Amino acid sequence: MGNLELIVEKHTERIHRGLEVLPTLKHGLPEGLGNKRWTGDLILATYEQALTGDIPQNGLEYKTGNSGGGFDVLGWKTHDGVAKVDQDQIDLSIPLNKRGEGEKIEIPVPIYGGGMSFGSISLNFMIARARAARRLGTYTSTGEGGYPDQIVPYRNHVITQVATGMFGVREETIQYAPIVEFKYAQGAKPGLGGHLLADKVTSEVAKMRESSMFTSLYSPFPFHSVYSVEDHKKHVDWIKTVNPRALVSVKVSTPTDVDMVAIGSYYAGANVIHIDGGYGGTGAAPEIAKKNIAMPVEYAIPKVHDYLVSEGVRDEITLMASGGIRTADDVAKAIALGADGCVVATAEAVAVGCTHCGNCERGRGCQVGITTTDPELSQFIDPEWGEKRIVNLFNAWSKRLRIILASFGLESIRDLRGRKDLLVRFK
Amino acid sequence: MQAQETGYRRFKIESRPAPHVYPIPNRFDVRARKIRLAAMLVHEAFEYRFEKEVVLSRPCIYGVFSGHFGGFKPLKHKCVGCMRCVQEYPHIMTVKPSEAYKKLGDSFWTPEMVYTVWNEASTGKIPVKGMGYKGAFGGEGFDGIWTDMSEIVRPTRDGVYGREYISTSVDVGRKPTSIDLDNVIETPRTIEIPLPIIFDELPNGTDNDDVQTAVALAAGKVGTLDVARETRLGRPGPENLLPLIDEEGIEDYEEKQPSILEFDAEKPSVLRKLLTRFDRSIIIGRLPLREDSGQVASELARQGVHGLHLYADYHGRDYSRDPRHISTALRDVHQQLVRDGLRDQVTIIASGGITLAEHVPKAIICGADLVGIDTTILVALQAEFLGETRNRANCGLRPRRINPEWGAQRLVNLMGVWHDQLIEILGAMGMRDVRRLRGDIGRSMMDSELREQSFKGIAWAT
Ligand code: SF4
Ligand code: SF4
Repeated sequence: MGNLELIVEKHTERIHRGLEVLPTLKHGLPEGLGNKRWTGDLILATYEQALTGDIPQNGLEYKTGNSGGGFDVLGWKTHDGVAKVDQDQIDLSIPLNKRGEGEKIEIPVPIYGGGMSFGSISLNFMIARARAARRLGTYTSTGEGGYPDQIVPYRNHVITQVATGMFGVREETIQYAPIVEFKYAQGAKPGLGGHLLADKVTSEVAKMRESSMFTSLYSPFPFHSVYSVEDHKKHVDWIKTVNPRALVSVKVSTPTDVDMVAIGSYYAGANVIHIDGGYGGTGAAPEIAKKNIAMPVEYAIPKVHDYLVSEGVRDEITLMASGGIRTADDVAKAIALGADGCVVATAEAVAVGCTHCGNCERGRGCQVGITTTDPELSQFIDPEWGEKRIVNLFNAWSKRLRIILASFGLESIRDLRGRKDLLVRFK
Repeated sequence: MQAQETGYRRFKIESRPAPHVYPIPNRFDVRARKIRLAAMLVHEAFEYRFEKEVVLSRPCIYGVFSGHFGGFKPLKHKCVGCMRCVQEYPHIMTVKPSEAYKKLGDSFWTPEMVYTVWNEASTGKIPVKGMGYKGAFGGEGFDGIWTDMSEIVRPTRDGVYGREYISTSVDVGRKPTSIDLDNVIETPRTIEIPLPIIFDELPNGTDNDDVQTAVALAAGKVGTLDVARETRLGRPGPENLLPLIDEEGIEDYEEKQPSILEFDAEKPSVLRKLLTRFDRSIIIGRLPLREDSGQVASELARQGVHGLHLYADYHGRDYSRDPRHISTALRDVHQQLVRDGLRDQVTIIASGGITLAEHVPKAIICGADLVGIDTTILVALQAEFLGETRNRANCGLRPRRINPEWGAQRLVNLMGVWHDQLIEILGAMGMRDVRRLRGDIGRSMMDSELREQSFKGIAWAT
């Protein structure tokens, strides 16, 4: 083995071991770890769940963060005297197509993976996510960076994203997909296009995106072919022509009129409306956009849910929420607020060692191999290892979801939808 | 100023690196337990058979351990808090925010705000990070306001990356409410500045020659205005000066007839004099925000003032008996003027607590036409925090010796990066002119309102 391989092996081994040791708190809670949204506790609790597949038992706070609002000020009502439910019998599945026609796709957990594009994340992490999606029976999304050959074997669990840059969108990548996702906007930079910094545009990324190496790539905003619901309908028709079997998901951000956007998407034929709140996102984004543009998803979910109910179409479209879903409790709260399920990305990155430090775009990219195209750093994530950790995380989440449902005597996650009455607010 | 130029000029602020000249505190404190570190090196030496390259390969990709003494003497200033060293060697490494960093600022200026302004002033680049937002959820004041975005129906953005132009120009002064072509007796009294930000008067005792020169130079380069009470001889950029004139100073300025001036509108009797003695100037009344500011503003507008400079304290609190955030106080004044049919006759400049780029569009949404910055100027110039910065009379910021050219570049960079961020916000909304944003509460979302709507029906925990 050459020195370079030894160096990679040494650090891989140490990072992986660190992820096991840190949650034991043997060395205390690292003071510099985390922030208000992803607290040190939440990060370590995620490492722990990714290791064991179980709910942390050592007192780590694994349910909420410390942001002072949204999910962090919501809790669960205590219920006495509910009917006893066998946790193993609880159904966590949700349908992704509620319309009368088209493929009937259900996922066994109310979660699928959000778009993180090739180029913004390492290929190894992308493969790990795809493998995990296959194992869990759910999906992951390509993001807008194209469809690397290495994830083709997982295509039955990969959503092809069609975004404004159209990077890597080809006939076959649409035909691979059981679900095609139109990304109109994203929570991290609502109203702004995607942006891949020059350093990350390696030869592979450039090839995939049909662009030039080491040149920054901007996706325009918005779709220049879509200025109305009718135009959007044409988009949907285009996908249905290329791949009649594909379900269509529409990913949007959370403006004041997010409810109108949702109903428009429904009428244009979408199966899934995916609302991505302003606080989430994984890609590099101006800080001003993340903090200030568009509303947090906690506020957008009830707005959209209530509106779809009042329009009488709620049971014909699946509402997925993302943008700051960090824990199983966040998933359950989002559902109680009116979503059918959640789309998750950051938590998967944390499962494989992300510290939520935000340095993804500095220098060589992520120091633990997540958001980087650096050939050395990317190797820290072995796809099989990553797969296992992501699967474990969602298994742990599933256990927690079952506990929550059982505490209310609910037999299916579908029965939790819109049950705001089961939540309480903290001051 | 743009008003004097003819022809179309696409506005752009040229940033150039202007690195800190005074050392800034390290953000992170990186420490290694030395005995354990030595033991680890010995252990790894055997494990990797003294293969130096492997043994000495370090966990930090930012070079913190690249000094002569490696982890024994980390180069802390290079640390970005990625935590990989702690992940790899949790028994050896600790990384935490440094004490000096935590002490930065005062009760209003958080360490993060100070760092943000420093970095913007030194690099002229928009702060960009990955993996989502990391701060508190919503909050009070400007933090409790989100700006809108538009999914599809909008003009093509662009600004920063260069497609369609987004205008950030604003007019200062009074516009005629109608045009009578047979009876044109005066030209409108307005000037146009290319971005909705001016430099406000500096706190007492902080406007030394170098600082004042830096501000004046920057105002000239950017094409904006700077408010100053006393002006020193030989001051650069007199055409960018917005003099603050009191009754005694009227005579001094009468000969100069500045195109624009401010006066203390708490003494309304001065207005009449100013209107007659400066009949070609734009006259702005400077007024502290209070519970009755709306009525006072309407009254002044009726008396013929051309603009109002409404100010809160430096922490963004108004001077009401029960102090409110400037965002609330501004909305009151704006709405009162709208109700009285006077809003378009006066320009509103808002200042006090405008310390981050995001505060500019939010103050405009709340009803200002443009904003003034104050303590932010001093922070950008690396003034020292000595205590609370709440009041003009007693502001705990002490300017340091600076080279005015360097200072000017820092302020130009700051304005450049705030301009770029304003364009991000406007672009996201599909707006191509900042003037359209004024008072457009409909394009914003309030934390308090959304919380009540969306969490309606959720019981309070007992
Ligand atoms: S740099 Fe890596 S660890 Fe840090 S936030 Fe980005 S993905 Fe996570
Ligand atoms: S926290 Fe990251 S940047 Fe800081 S010393 Fe450790 S490895 Fe280097």
